[in-house]
Amino acid sequence: MPFGYHGCYLRIDVGSGKGQRVPLSDDVLRQYIGGSGLGARLLLDENDSRPHFPDPLSPDAPLIFAFSPLVGSPLTTSAKFAVVSTSPLTGRFNDSLASSGFAIAGKQCGCDAIVIVGRARALSVLIIDNGDVRLEPADDVRGDACAVTEDKLRARLGANYRIASIGPAGERGVLYATISHDGRHAGRGGSGAVLGSKNIKAIAVRGTHRCDWARPQELTALSRDLSKRSFGPATAKYRELGTATNLLTFNRFGTLPTRNFQSGTFEDAERISPEELTTAHARTRASCVACTIGCEHIYSLGNKGVRLEYESLFALGSLCGVGDGDAVLRASQRCDELGIDTISTGGTIAFAMECVERGLLDEPWLTFGSGDAMLKAIELIGAREGLGQLLAEGSRRAADTIGQGSIAFAPQVKGLEIPGYEPRGLQTMALGFAVGARGADHNRSGAYDVDFSDKVDRRNATLESVRHAIDSEDKAALMDSLILCKFLRRVFEDFHTEAAGMLRAVTGWDVTADELRDTAQRIVAAKRQVNLLAGWTVEEDTLPERFLNTPLPNDPEASLSRELLHELVAEYHRQRGW
Amino acid sequence: MYVEFLGIPRERAGISEMEVEAETLGEVLGELSARCPGLSDLITPDGLHPSLAANLNGDEFVRSLDTRLAEGDRLLILSADAGG
Repeated sequence: MPFGYHGCYLRIDVGSGKGQRVPLSDDVLRQYIGGSGLGARLLLDENDSRPHFPDPLSPDAPLIFAFSPLVGSPLTTSAKFAVVSTSPLTGRFNDSLASSGFAIAGKQCGCDAIVIVGRARALSVLIIDNGDVRLEPADDVRGDACAVTEDKLRARLGANYRIASIGPAGERGVLYATISHDGRHAGRGGSGAVLGSKNIKAIAVRGTHRCDWARPQELTALSRDLSKRSFGPATAKYRELGTATNLLTFNRFGTLPTRNFQSGTFEDAERISPEELTTAHARTRASCVACTIGCEHIYSLGNKGVRLEYESLFALGSLCGVGDGDAVLRASQRCDELGIDTISTGGTIAFAMECVERGLLDEPWLTFGSGDAMLKAIELIGAREGLGQLLAEGSRRAADTIGQGSIAFAPQVKGLEIPGYEPRGLQTMALGFAVGARGADHNRSGAYDVDFSDKVDRRNATLESVRHAIDSEDKAALMDSLILCKFLRRVFEDFHTEAAGMLRAVTGWDVTADELRDTAQRIVAAKRQVNLLAGWTVEEDTLPERFLNTPLPNDPEASLSRELLHELVAEYHRQRGW
Repeated sequence: MYVEFLGIPRERAGISEMEVEAETLGEVLGELSARCPGLSDLITPDGLHPSLAANLNGDEFVRSLDTRLAEGDRLLILSADAGG
């Protein structure tokens, strides 16, 4: 067994309440590292004997919490875990990541991953105490918000437990429900609905199993150096302003999705910008465990604080045409409490607002620009009541129900709602969205970095864009498997070389930068393999009709033809060797 | 011509835009270094610090200090990692 690992995963059938340790070979660990990569491998292995994947919400469908060799090390931002499954929202591969103490405590249970299958007889708390597994009733936390659940369970079980939980939306099967820990969310793709379908309200972990490092002194030196650099200009944006500062930048470039992607500029952008919000709401900073960046910016709202990221700000602000900062903060807070993905929430509500605007949906109260309407829709989604039943299914299924051509402007790829990057104005990113294994997502493709550079013309993609999109996807897959925070990405001068150095110090492997490039491709291919077994076809690698052949209204030069996108996708597949 | 500041550059400059008389990117950066002390450590003789980017009129990202600028141009100075 290499250093940095336990060499096994814990497989738990919550139907029986029993767990067993399953060995992991050195080869598998080296080939898939951890996090998203290891999760993808385990997902394939779990379904090895089946011709197809089971329904994501069926008891047979596995839900995997994957740690990594760097978890528990002194490397900054390494306290992260990946949640991997097939997605109830997309039916495709899904990996969502979150941070903080759950990663460290989970790994200290003596395993490199936790695989959950089955369905508990009643709503339960899954407790893993140093690797021993038991279920306890969850009646006292039924319907509670994630933070409340964590507080109650720590009071019941002990303060040294770390808890990941679902909110009311996860219990009710909202297809984009999250799993939350310490205020952060494994947010995209509905992993919370998967946990809810297993009748598990929360997972509580604690343990004492620590891994040894192969070269502790070298690791300490690397960690000190990385921490020092993480305080520099490369992370200043995250530390000083947070991602929310993207809003005005994107608005200036005409790439801020507005009113369900009907425009790339929002007339009230200044009103909801963090610069303006800060004048009315005190802002404090926080960070995940073992992180030196401290990117979280928390705005006061009443007697509570609200974490606000760019993605929440755009989705619950400009995308719904809402220019009321208080409403956006309140909406973000309610999404956190209910345990739902803010991007899919905002995207689905914005889609419904456009349906109302076009006379396709008879809900006259649901209009662009109304903060009250957006908040009402969020409550309905969380409760799965009234219109909320439809919106809880996401924009693609809602469009399937509404019909009348509405799928053309449902803001999704493979069923996952599109993040805050207008594809017509950021065309390398458009390709990244189209081919993403889990659907449109900015954390699995950071190709926007290239669009905001002199390497490409962001409004006129060429075949050269394909290489950039592949590089970005590979790099993200590697970071999500090591796991390190992507906000460090500009700290590294040569990411692959530095990452190989970290892995050598932790594991003792003679790993090189070139090996890690191969590893990244292997991980991306594993995600695709999951999708193939789940029924993926090449026609899914596209964008909604709205973005094809119709220029961005505020920027006529930002136009993406169907033919060009198909050519880019085909070249992507060719270069991947698929 | 005008310089617009976004994100960290705006925070450092303390203003959202300023008018500058310059014919090249290098001249603009020299002017900014002199007039905005908060930005001076992010501007070197070689150009902008890698954490920042410059864009001309929302269209083209520029780095060469010899880049010619025209009257009426708007130069945007922003964080290089625009997303996240």
